[in-house]
Amino acid sequence: MRSLIRAAWRSFEMSTRLRVVSPWAYLNWLVFPVIFAAIGLFVLTSSGYARVAYGVLGGGVIGFWSVTYLDGGNSIQEERWNGTLEQIFAVPTPLVVIVIGKILGSLLLGLLAFIPTVGLAYFGFHAVLPALDPLRFAVSLGVLSFSFFIIAVALTPLFAISRSAFTVLNGLELGVYGLCGFMFPVSQLPQWLQPISYALSPTWATRALYASATPSASGDIAGWWLASIGLSALYLVVSVALYRFVEVRARVSGELALA
Amino acid sequence: MPSDPPFRHAIEVADLRKVYTTTRGTFRRTKVENVALAGIDLAIAPGELFGLLGPNGAGKTTTVKVLTTLLLPTSGTARVLGHDVVSATGDVRRRIGFVFGGERGLYWRLSGYDNLRYFADLYRIPPQVSKRRIGELLEVLGLAGREHDKVEGYSRGMKQRLHLARGLLNDPDVLFLDEPTIGLDPVGARDLRVLIRGLADHGKTIFLTTHYMFEADAICDRVAVIKKGRIVAEGTPSSIKQLVGDIGVVEFEVDTISQEDIERLQGLDTVSSVVVTERELALVVTIHCAQPAEVMTQLGRLLDGIAFRRVSAREATLEDAYVELIGEAS
Amino acid sequence: MTQSLAAFARSTWLQYVALFQWATPLGYFAYKVVLPVTQIVFFVQLGVFATGPGNALYFALGNSLQLTANSGIFGVIATVSNERQYGTLPLLLGSPANRLLTFMSRSFVNVLDGIVSVVFGLVVTAILYGLDLRTANLPLLGLCIVVISITTAGLGLLFGSLGLVMRDSIIVANVVYYGLLILCGINFPVSRLPDALQVVAYSLPLTRGVMAAREAVAGAAFGQVAGLLAGELLVGAVYAGLGYALFRLLEGWARRGGLQEAY
Repeated sequence: MRSLIRAAWRSFEMSTRLRVVSPWAYLNWLVFPVIFAAIGLFVLTSSGYARVAYGVLGGGVIGFWSVTYLDGGNSIQEERWNGTLEQIFAVPTPLVVIVIGKILGSLLLGLLAFIPTVGLAYFGFHAVLPALDPLRFAVSLGVLSFSFFIIAVALTPLFAISRSAFTVLNGLELGVYGLCGFMFPVSQLPQWLQPISYALSPTWATRALYASATPSASGDIAGWWLASIGLSALYLVVSVALYRFVEVRARVSGELALA
Repeated sequence: MPSDPPFRHAIEVADLRKVYTTTRGTFRRTKVENVALAGIDLAIAPGELFGLLGPNGAGKTTTVKVLTTLLLPTSGTARVLGHDVVSATGDVRRRIGFVFGGERGLYWRLSGYDNLRYFADLYRIPPQVSKRRIGELLEVLGLAGREHDKVEGYSRGMKQRLHLARGLLNDPDVLFLDEPTIGLDPVGARDLRVLIRGLADHGKTIFLTTHYMFEADAICDRVAVIKKGRIVAEGTPSSIKQLVGDIGVVEFEVDTISQEDIERLQGLDTVSSVVVTERELALVVTIHCAQPAEVMTQLGRLLDGIAFRRVSAREATLEDAYVELIGEAS
Repeated sequence: MTQSLAAFARSTWLQYVALFQWATPLGYFAYKVVLPVTQIVFFVQLGVFATGPGNALYFALGNSLQLTANSGIFGVIATVSNERQYGTLPLLLGSPANRLLTFMSRSFVNVLDGIVSVVFGLVVTAILYGLDLRTANLPLLGLCIVVISITTAGLGLLFGSLGLVMRDSIIVANVVYYGLLILCGINFPVSRLPDALQVVAYSLPLTRGVMAAREAVAGAAFGQVAGLLAGELLVGAVYAGLGYALFRLLEGWARRGGLQEAY
């Protein structure tokens, strides 16, 4: 057990060190979130400040999400280009342990996205969150982090066996922002799309996050936390199967190597 | 440390087959089957340095990947130290090391030391042990003093030795080396061969693939020649040479040679193969044959009007035997 | 002349194929269909949430027009960086082919692709948000689309040339692409930007072209937007010219051995 924790820690350390020198990481945690925050703030403040929480936090949530999950995918692609993907696959440490280390690194990096975006809101738009409930906000952010973490850990093995999975999910990015209500409430979406939203764990956590930062928000925040955690647990079960599948699939097709 | 089941051979392979199925086409998807291994058998004793020879695409890398648990065979069995490579992956992975040739497979933006420490942790080696072992390996492999430099600044030879150090981190009983000297300069390749031979002399079982015949001739205890997924010969390098009989080689250079001329040479009873290779400014014709002296006397008659030069006859090398085997089995 | 035209067409087609050779059919679909649709829907829903349902078309139209940058920026930069990645650039530079023609052919395929992207975006807008073009000045709208596709590709050429010296030019492409979303009056009028950013906005392609296109949809006559379109073309020409100048500069520099990194 101790050797597994050490392996996860080293994977965390290594991926963080590799990321510090990769310009992609800065694009994801700094540039993208700021651009989305700017658009969101310009649009959302055009008719008053009632919806400003979505502008103040939206860019950060988007950045947090894309770093956490895209970075996991990116780092697997990089291992492939590097020729190290086969090596990390053939060690006695299970792939999931290595992935957990990597994703924890992404998660911490992703949280950084809130700094430039909230800064932009404050200094550029004089927007603040007057009705912030710190305790609920903190718990909501924790639940949101958990949901991102589980999704990233669950999806990463897909990127190991399929190069196009990453491209496809990349193309869906804006769709995910919309479906999970990162910058506007899910109720804005067409009716027929909403069931998909409600099956996604970040949707509930995001909803709780905004409710804890919006004046006179009503709703069952604790229930939303539970919904998000419950869905995450469900994903976890599915991902165990996915890891097993990937382990076999990769060994049948030899897709870990760059052809 | 878990105990191994009893085994006589460090590596034991029986009727191993690997078929890749790929789909082609966007709309009309058709399945294409590609047989990489058509049923091979191998038995390698503990402490043996075994060489698998073959041209590109013959199945060398596929064999190594199956044995290192990276690929699942389609059928047949493969055991390493008595453990099944399909089901007992954990036991196999802990006890083997592998190095694939070429420069990839390292984190170039990190130092050699960081690379090794990372993999030591992934191999779940206790820190005290790994610290000592990394130090030893850096020393033995001539990387000491450069271990804190970034890998991107290493020469090819250094990168390859770093690969070897990584492969040896867990003090494996069996080491797989897939074309380890590829892309190295002659001196670097020789140094690496000396190191590999030394490891075998210290009791490690080594499974080496190469397409350099002299390399196998120089260091391997035993070799097998693989062609199109089948083993076509197996034995010590000298027994393989004998396999092709008292065959000799006649070589000469020409500026140009026609297909008819080649066919005329091939038509001789004693000739088993004629290979034409391009060398700077000339073509080299290599004739494998019995009674080379006899063939030499006939050259002038057969190649009337062609200016050929540097005619020589010599005994077969392992490379000639290999060319003979590969040619024969086609 | 016909010979060079044929060469132009051939190199154009090959570049389009090379551009997407990384993509599986599914990846191509994600990039060319899913991404545009989700971009339009995301920003329309954001805009409707912020300003009410009456403004849906403003956001849908803006984002449909901006889709040309998908080709003009990503496409052009990727065309150049592909050549770098596959090591074909020295071959090109060593060939006797006309420099300007070669340079232009890299953007031409992306201009066509950009026009198709915008038309696709407008169709999506019509289906999802009921865009009604019966009162629009269609020839003028068509002209606007062609113009912005050309000018955006002009900006792409400048960054494409920069890409010859930079390892991660596709990152720059991302920044430029999303930067245009803020600056060019796609999701809110340029007048809402701080003064300094307004200056930047008017020195970028798309800004005037998108204004003109919005007018065309509202039924404006050519005379009313001629100035905007002329300005748009001028901006695009300046960027393309800068890109070509930079390209020649780097070429000369590389031949003197000063630019190993470029290859």
